[in-house]
Amino acid sequence: MGLLSILRKLKSIPDRELRILLLGLDNAGKTTLLKQLASEDIAHITPTQGFNIKSVQSEGFKLNVWDIGGQRKIRPYWRNYFENTDVLIYVIDSADRKRFEETGVELAELLEEEKLSGVPLLIYANKQDLFNAAPASEIAEGLNLHTIRDRVWQIQACSAMTGEGIKDGMDWVCKSLKKK
Amino acid sequence: MFSVMGNCISCWKRHREPHKEITLLLVGIDNAGKTVAAKGLLGESIEGVAPTVGFSSSSMRYDKFDVTLHDLGGGKKIRAIWKNYLSEAYGLIYVVDSSDGERMQESKAVLKDLLQNPRISGKPVLVLANKQDVPGALDEIDVVDQLDLELLVNTYKCPCRVETCSASLGQGKKMDAALRAGFRWLLETIGANFDLLHKRVEHETALQREAEEQDKRERIARVKKAQEERAKAEGQNEEDCCS
Ligand SMILES: Nc1nc2c(ncn2[C@@H]2O[C@H](COP(=O)(O)OP(=O)(O)OP(=O)(O)O)[C@@H](O)[C@H]2O)c(=O)[nH]1
Ligand SMILES: Nc1nc2c(ncn2[C@@H]2O[C@H](COP(=O)(O)OP(=O)(O)OP(=O)(O)O)[C@@H](O)[C@H]2O)c(=O)[nH]1
Ligand SMILES: [Mg+2]
Ligand SMILES: [Mg+2]
Repeated sequence: MGLLSILRKLKSIPDRELRILLLGLDNAGKTTLLKQLASEDIAHITPTQGFNIKSVQSEGFKLNVWDIGGQRKIRPYWRNYFENTDVLIYVIDSADRKRFEETGVELAELLEEEKLSGVPLLIYANKQDLFNAAPASEIAEGLNLHTIRDRVWQIQACSAMTGEGIKDGMDWVCKSLKKK
Repeated sequence: MFSVMGNCISCWKRHREPHKEITLLLVGIDNAGKTVAAKGLLGESIEGVAPTVGFSSSSMRYDKFDVTLHDLGGGKKIRAIWKNYLSEAYGLIYVVDSSDGERMQESKAVLKDLLQNPRISGKPVLVLANKQDVPGALDEIDVVDQLDLELLVNTYKCPCRVETCSASLGQGKKMDAALRAGFRWLLETIGANFDLLHKRVEHETALQREAEEQDKRERIARVKKAQEERAKAEGQNEEDCCS
């Protein structure tokens, strides 16, 4: 074995590649969050018509994050992206209480998908910078999260605008995967 | 042919050693050490634990029990979810950070709230006075005193045992012997009262499931209706702008 391939092998061990799916209703802040993760400019983001994908490094993992548009007419296409998902991240607009039930029903439907069975779930309670953002307990209630018993789930309060809380959420993702 | 045989062996085994399926809740305020204790009991590595703001559940086989352990987040902002898990519990493991005297009153109030809930009163409770390795940690007597535990468990008729321990000692062979002994006591107590507890849990969870199903149907109907109304309004707007 040549030196190069040994080096490559050594390097490839900690670099586990993970596929992360970012879903949520339109306007939740998925694309803003993705750009924030990749330290990109978050001005001028428009509603996503298809998908965006970015790779970010975290704790020895290479995370391939897929951000899919959340508009109602696009939601039926979400299922095209379910295969081989390691973690599902579901983003919600914590200030948009009117839509908690809708986003909860949409999430419940997602979790019934066989391809996502047992996949750990992180809920980013986004837009916490807004004065009327709901706290985690209200979101858990509004989205009926206690009915999810077939997988580990976690709520992370965050703001894709300021970046607050995003890293903590990704740390949880990496920790919940390490034991696998 | 093989599958038939396999089935026979498994029924025979089941007859010989019927195992009891039970669910336990790990509760207590944030930072008490619930997740570390859970991992120790499950024999998983206790390195790099993050605060739980949600739900994590694992199963293990212990003697004649199939134990499902629900580890729930204890922070102020997530505690409200606990009420949804009470009916399925056969017993509680309540974890206290013995080194944090300042939060004992908070912990006491939270424990009282749990024990007085009709879905918990009467069920066995293991109290873990955790973090004994921290210098100055309260001992068993002080913890019992500060939580007003005797009065609480007598009032709400909960069989109770207190163990002082350090969940962070490790998992497997390194695990704190007191933690293991407490866990064994909890399972034995549940085993001794199994039929009664089982009936109670079956009944209360069935009621809860029914209510949840009903609630789910209503939610779906409301969301559908709102979506239809929105679609109609959008159609109206388009007509308005085109005419
Ligand atoms: N105040 C505030 N606004 C945010 C935050 N995150 C996103 N937004 C705004 O919310 C709007 C929608 O953000 P996007 O990132 O496009 O949302 P999306 O989930 O990708 O939407 P779709 O692509 O349509 O599914 C934009 O105007 C963002 O600037 C946040 O944390 N705080
Ligand atoms: N010194 C000491 N530290 C401990 C012990 N048990 C847990 N810890 C530490 O206490 C902190 C909290 O432990 P967790 O297990 O995450 O606490 P938790 O009760 O699950 O907290 P939440 O998930 O926020 O509800 C971690 O830093 C642990 O390492 C112990 O016996 N001794
Ligand atoms: Mg988008
Ligand atoms: Mg925890």
